[in-house]
Amino acid sequence: MPIPRRTFAVAAVAALVLPLSACGSSGGDGGSTDASGKVEGEITFQTWNLRANFKPYFEDLIAAFEEKYPDTHVKWVDQPGEGYADKISADAAGGTLPDVVNVSPDLVAPLAKAGLALDLDKAAGQYEKEYLEGAWASHQVPGMEGTYAFPWYLNTGPLFYNKSLFEKAGLDADKPPTTYDELFDTALRLAEKTDGEVATLANVPTIEDFGRYGVPLMNKEGTAFSFNDAKGVELLTRYKELYEAGALDSQALTATPESSGKKFLTGAVAMNPGSALDLANFKKQAPSLYKNIGITDQITSTGHVNMYVMGVMVNAQSERKPAAVAFAHFVTNSAHQMSFAKQVAIFPSTAGSLDDPYFTREDGTDETRVRVAAAKSLKTAVNYTPVLFSEQMKTELRNAVAKALQGKESPKEALDNAVKACDRLLTQQG
Amino acid sequence: MSVAEKTGTAEKTGPAEKAPAPAREPRITDEHGRRVRVWELALRYLLLLAVLVLTVGPFLWQLSTSLKGPTEDIFSSPPKFLPADPTLHNYERVSETIPVWDYALNSLKVATANVVTNCVGSALAGYALARLRYRGRRAATLVFILAMLVPVEGIIIAQFTTMRELGLNNTLVGVLLPGCVSALNVLLMRNAFLNLPHEIEEAAYVDGANVWQRFWRIALPSVKGTLAVVAIFAFMGAWDDFLWPLIVLSDPSRFTLTIGLNYLHGTFANDERLVAAGTIIAVAPLIVLFACLQRYFFRGVGEGAVKG
Amino acid sequence: MASPTASGTRRVRRQLPTSPWLFAAPGLLITGAFILYPFVSTLVNAFTDRRTLVPGEFVGLANFRELLHDDMFWTGLRNSTLYVLGVVPALVLLPLLLALLVQKNIPGITFFRSAFYTPVVASIVVVGLIWVWLLDERGLVNSLLETVGASPVGFLSDQWLILLSAMAVTVWKGLGYYMIIYLAALANVPRELHEAAAVDGAGALRRFLTVTVPAVRSTMVLVAALSSVAAFKVFSEVYLMAGPSGGPAGEDTTLVMLVQRTGTGLTGRVGYASAISVVVFVVTVALMLLVLRADRKEES
Repeated sequence: MPIPRRTFAVAAVAALVLPLSACGSSGGDGGSTDASGKVEGEITFQTWNLRANFKPYFEDLIAAFEEKYPDTHVKWVDQPGEGYADKISADAAGGTLPDVVNVSPDLVAPLAKAGLALDLDKAAGQYEKEYLEGAWASHQVPGMEGTYAFPWYLNTGPLFYNKSLFEKAGLDADKPPTTYDELFDTALRLAEKTDGEVATLANVPTIEDFGRYGVPLMNKEGTAFSFNDAKGVELLTRYKELYEAGALDSQALTATPESSGKKFLTGAVAMNPGSALDLANFKKQAPSLYKNIGITDQITSTGHVNMYVMGVMVNAQSERKPAAVAFAHFVTNSAHQMSFAKQVAIFPSTAGSLDDPYFTREDGTDETRVRVAAAKSLKTAVNYTPVLFSEQMKTELRNAVAKALQGKESPKEALDNAVKACDRLLTQQG
Repeated sequence: MSVAEKTGTAEKTGPAEKAPAPAREPRITDEHGRRVRVWELALRYLLLLAVLVLTVGPFLWQLSTSLKGPTEDIFSSPPKFLPADPTLHNYERVSETIPVWDYALNSLKVATANVVTNCVGSALAGYALARLRYRGRRAATLVFILAMLVPVEGIIIAQFTTMRELGLNNTLVGVLLPGCVSALNVLLMRNAFLNLPHEIEEAAYVDGANVWQRFWRIALPSVKGTLAVVAIFAFMGAWDDFLWPLIVLSDPSRFTLTIGLNYLHGTFANDERLVAAGTIIAVAPLIVLFACLQRYFFRGVGEGAVKG
Repeated sequence: MASPTASGTRRVRRQLPTSPWLFAAPGLLITGAFILYPFVSTLVNAFTDRRTLVPGEFVGLANFRELLHDDMFWTGLRNSTLYVLGVVPALVLLPLLLALLVQKNIPGITFFRSAFYTPVVASIVVVGLIWVWLLDERGLVNSLLETVGASPVGFLSDQWLILLSAMAVTVWKGLGYYMIIYLAALANVPRELHEAAAVDGAGALRRFLTVTVPAVRSTMVLVAALSSVAAFKVFSEVYLMAGPSGGPAGEDTTLVMLVQRTGTGLTGRVGYASAISVVVFVVTVALMLLVLRADRKEES
């Protein structure tokens, strides 16, 4: 589905979960990390585009917190989806960052480096065990010690496909591809059978696709990128075949997650990654498509699906750190994540929550089927996008991929250049 | 819209109707009171309709989307133009989802203030640049020209820092200030004053009118057309701006309409019908305002006719 | 901006000595404090390696030297220049014709005038979404083309067609804007001139060339100046049609898009982006001078 992906895509960049323990030690030491003391005072809590639909939830949440800690007062502000990074940049540069901020891993990394995010390993390490291991680690930054945000909600999802387009091409609509090889074969068949009319995918591969294909994205120290290895070149070469055969949408080179979602809704492409949220959306926006929707598992060569992570960060310069930490934990604790997950189809990042019957018991509807499958895959899911992979780097990769698909550069050349450019940006970011 | 239309037409066709010819059928006349030939008129309407399709077609489509009910497929291909079952429900939902009136009120405050400050500020400055002689006039003109050329994309954080130092972040005044006398408008007014014949003011000068009197009583009334243009631009600029108010404001109760409407793009799902309804809500006031003001663009001749 | 006619001001002379500055003060103060002063910080940043959250150090001309070797910078310069060449002639001429078309008071004209103004007032994001939808491979324009037997055109997949489509949107959105500037100017054309010409039996085209054009010449220069500066600084239209990465392989990136891409966000290279801003500023100053110079030459 377009929107959650867009919002997350703007946001999403998390740690390569595995190599994190191997980080070097340096680490800006921003302000005091002491969060002990009385929980009191007025704090500001900023969310990212959640007020319009979840106002009662947050008002109740805040009321409950203020009841538990009568000396506190929480002021809730919510920012729209667009321009969130600009807003945070201005606030960070101007010293007006709220005390508790809804962030994604890619926002946390530069804030942590600038000493604006509180190190929770020091200030709130006792809560670590309450969260899924991978989720806690997703707000750690290579090259720095510490964890810079509480994990909040997670999301992942299946691959949707359009059954009627499969049938049109003479493919078995009940046997969707389950491996990358099958995916590429299906795509080529679809393009061939429909004379290039029906494309299978609407978007070019992003960094998370490389990760899911099994390409090592960064070195262990987090100091250099490595997606130009043989595996990466292989993936890009396969995509090039698709592009030339018309199996990749003709507007793929300029596509955004939002536009590819629309392509799927109009039946211009046969497959699109999405999440549990999309089902309701399909039903509402394109009822005729909904009847033909097929659902299959996300394709991965590593055995781990991709997930998106949202976090809650505490401003290291907050004057009310005890209250801010207490509130950030309150928002993300297992009870409150669970009740939030029941309001909208996202998933809690707290340990054990995914074993709740809500996430394990099917009742025969598509919604629960998707939810149960996603919850199961989340236990081992990985946020492939490296925390340090900035917007500028995404553009470099995207443009390099386009050059390779257009045949202006060989896949190897294009990826070498992209790695070089991203490495340079990495050192320039300081 | 129709009221403005009627008065506009009545005013212009006035002289023709007073003409002795007691013609029964309505006579179509041009702005000089001459009769327009039928084929020419037909050609005009044809052209007008062609441009109309090009300019408002896309919005009609948006309007149509906003009227489509929940059971209707809005992503069908080829697209369907007319809602099968038109409903105003989406507009109701907009006002249920966000406090749209509060946001509109904030926008209205900023936009109205912006109109006042721009009209006053740029008329004064434009007059000084065009009609007064003093040392440094060229330098002052240059300041406005350079300001118009500054690429604003690069200065927004510096502007925010300035606002914060003034303690005006998170206030509507902070939203207003940077654009409250826009360089472009100053230059538009300067251009208008430059085009006025000098004889107009000369008579008043001889009569001993001072500079304020000449400005207020003679020069300003002659440029009402441009003043209306400035008013429209100022209102529109404040009404449509997104990034600057977003950066300056933190408190949702002070948000302007463009920020507020952005909430309709949900975090988890995008409802195109809701977004389309929001679009129409944002555009409608501007079109009404334009319809009300547009008569003034044609006033120039009549009022500027003081020329000697 | 239009060349001042100095002849008349000479005689309007005696006035309170301070009043000219009083007149100009509000405008100068606001412009100075909120536009020029922040721009000074951009000028300074252009010589540093400042990032959004890292203060940065003085690096001399390093940013400008890097620009020379940055392919994307040259792509941006090319596209922004092409944009001026493509858009300005259309925006000087078409709105004038449109203004003449709606100038006459015929029944319903108020409706048409207001309707023609709608593209101007709609936010560019909305306009972009609508046009992306219309120009899509399967959008309305292509379905119309198909009904007349043409094969679909990749308006949004070919780098040059993307740029052309964006220009078309800029012209479409600018029509009403410049139309009202022209309308205000046309109102100042004394009707006696038109009447005299009509009595002489001059045809529509001749009247346009001999009466209208000379009468609105200074406005045409103004429109040329305004639209060329705006065209060189184009951002939204291309951003929306070509996507955030600037079209296939970034080939549609304009200079201001490059400023936005490199300089904003928490990882923005503010110093480098400022250097590009400075280039944009210098080029627009040059453009302005060019338009004014052409105007003066024509006049003499």
